[in-house]
Amino acid sequence: MIRPNRTHALRLLIAWAVLSVIGVVIGLQLSLPPGSQSQQSIDQSGLLKLMIILSTPVFVGVVLFILYSVFAFRQKRGALEDGPRSYGNLRLQVAWVAITAVVVLILAGIGISQLNAAANGTNFTSSSAPALATSGDVGTTEGHALQVQVIAQQWYFTYRYADYSGVESLHLMLPVNANVVFHITSTDVLHSFWAYQLGVKADANPGVDNVTYVTTLQTGSFTVRCAELCGIWHGAMSDTSGAVVSQADFATWITQLQKDNLSIPLPPYAPYYFPSPRVKGT
Amino acid sequence: MRLVVLVLTVGIFSGLLALFIGGFVIRVPESLTASPATVAQGSTPAQNAFIHLETVASVDTAITFPRPGDPNPSWVSYLPTTILKVPANSTVTVQIDQEDGASGLRNPFWAQAQGIVGGTFHMTYFDDQGNPQEGDFSSIPDPASAAHTFAIPDLGVFVPLEGISDAAPAGSMNVITFSFKTGKAGVYHWQCFVPCGAGTIYGNGGPMQTLGYMAGFLIVQ
Repeated sequence: MIRPNRTHALRLLIAWAVLSVIGVVIGLQLSLPPGSQSQQSIDQSGLLKLMIILSTPVFVGVVLFILYSVFAFRQKRGALEDGPRSYGNLRLQVAWVAITAVVVLILAGIGISQLNAAANGTNFTSSSAPALATSGDVGTTEGHALQVQVIAQQWYFTYRYADYSGVESLHLMLPVNANVVFHITSTDVLHSFWAYQLGVKADANPGVDNVTYVTTLQTGSFTVRCAELCGIWHGAMSDTSGAVVSQADFATWITQLQKDNLSIPLPPYAPYYFPSPRVKGT
Repeated sequence: MRLVVLVLTVGIFSGLLALFIGGFVIRVPESLTASPATVAQGSTPAQNAFIHLETVASVDTAITFPRPGDPNPSWVSYLPTTILKVPANSTVTVQIDQEDGASGLRNPFWAQAQGIVGGTFHMTYFDDQGNPQEGDFSSIPDPASAAHTFAIPDLGVFVPLEGISDAAPAGSMNVITFSFKTGKAGVYHWQCFVPCGAGTIYGNGGPMQTLGYMAGFLIVQ
C-alpha cells in the first residue's frame, strides 16, 4: 500500500524527469551565441550549453511543483479552513542546499577557469586549439601570434597590424587558424571592442593597452560593435565588414594594405596614443 | 469555472513565455525570409546629386550659408544643414567651402581620403604665403593641418578637409570637391573625425555631440 504522499512524489518525479529530458533536448537545439568562429566562441557556447543542461531541470522542477500543487492541493468548494500543519524536513533542506551549492560551485569553477584562460591567452595551447604549424602561416605558432591593435575613436574602430610595420585598416581582417593577440586602446573616451561572433569583448580605454586573445577557426564575416556608451553616435559605432579569411587571402590583403598605406603619414606604432591638447581652444 | 480560468491563465502565460524565449533564441531560417536578389536594371538612367556645404569656425561667421538665430552662434559647424538627402545608386558630388583653421587629426590615418571616386579630391587652397593654389589630392600632407573631415563610415567615405592657412586673406575659403557613390537606400550617419569642439575636454563636446553641427544623416532614397 503506497501512502498518498508517495503517490504525489512519484507522479512529480516521473513528470519532472520526462519534462527535463525534453527541455534539455529542445534547449540544445537552440543556436546559442556567439557561434563557432573562434575557439573562444566555441568555449562560450559550450558554457551556455552546460548551463542549459544544469538549469533546465531546476526550472522544470520549480514550475512543475508549483503548478502541481495548485491543482492537486487546491481547496475544494465549501467552507474555508486551515490546511494541515506542515513541519520542516531536515533531510530535504540539507539536500536542497547541498545540491544547489554543488551546481553553483561547479559553474563558478568552470566560469573562472574560462575567464582566466581568456585573460591570459592560455587557451591558445589548449588541446582543441589549431595544430601548431611549422609552415610560414600567420599566427599559427604560439610564439608568433598575430598582433593586432584596435584603436577606438568617437565613433569608429580602426586596426593596426604591428607585425606589418603598423599599417592601419578600416576593417578587421584575420587569417583563419591563427592565434591573435588584440591590443585595445582608445584615443578619446571609454569604448569597448566587441567582435560578436569571435566571442571577444574588451574595454578600450585611453592611455591603456588592454590585451585579449582569440584563436580563429572558421572563415566568415563578423560584426564589430562598441559596447560602452560613448557619446551621441555610440549606436552607429559598428562595422559588419570584419572577416576571417584564408591565410592566402590574408597575405594578399595585407600586402595591398601596405601599398595603400605608403602615402599615409601614420605615427610610429605605440601601445597607446595620448590625445592632446586636453582642452581644445577656449 | 474557476478551474477553466486558471488553466487558461496558466496556458496563456506559458505560451507568452515560450514565444518570448523562442523569439530571442531561435532564428528564422534565412531560406524563409530571403527574397530574390534584385539586379539594377541597365535601362535605369544614372542619377546624380550635388551637395553644397560650408564649414565654419563659428556659425555667426558664415559666408555662404548664414544661419541667423542659431542657438549656438559660436559653435563650429557644417552649414546649412547636416541632414542630407540623395538618390540611391547614384553619384553624389560634394562641394565644401572650408573656412575654419587647422585643428589636427586625433588619428592621422584620416589624413588619407578613402572611398571617393577616382581616389582624389579637388582643392583650391592658400599656401603658407597666402597665395591661392589648386590641385588634386589623395591625402593632406600634414595630419595636423586638418580642420575637419567629411566621413560616412558605413559607405567607407572619409575625406580630410585642409584648414585655412593663417596667411590667407580674411574671408577666404578652401574649396574641396569630390564625388562618392551611393548604394541601396538607407539612412547613414556621417560625422567629422577631428575633435573640433572648442572649449570642451579633448574637443569632443558641444558641436561634436549635437546633431546639426559636426554630424548628421545621409538619407539615401
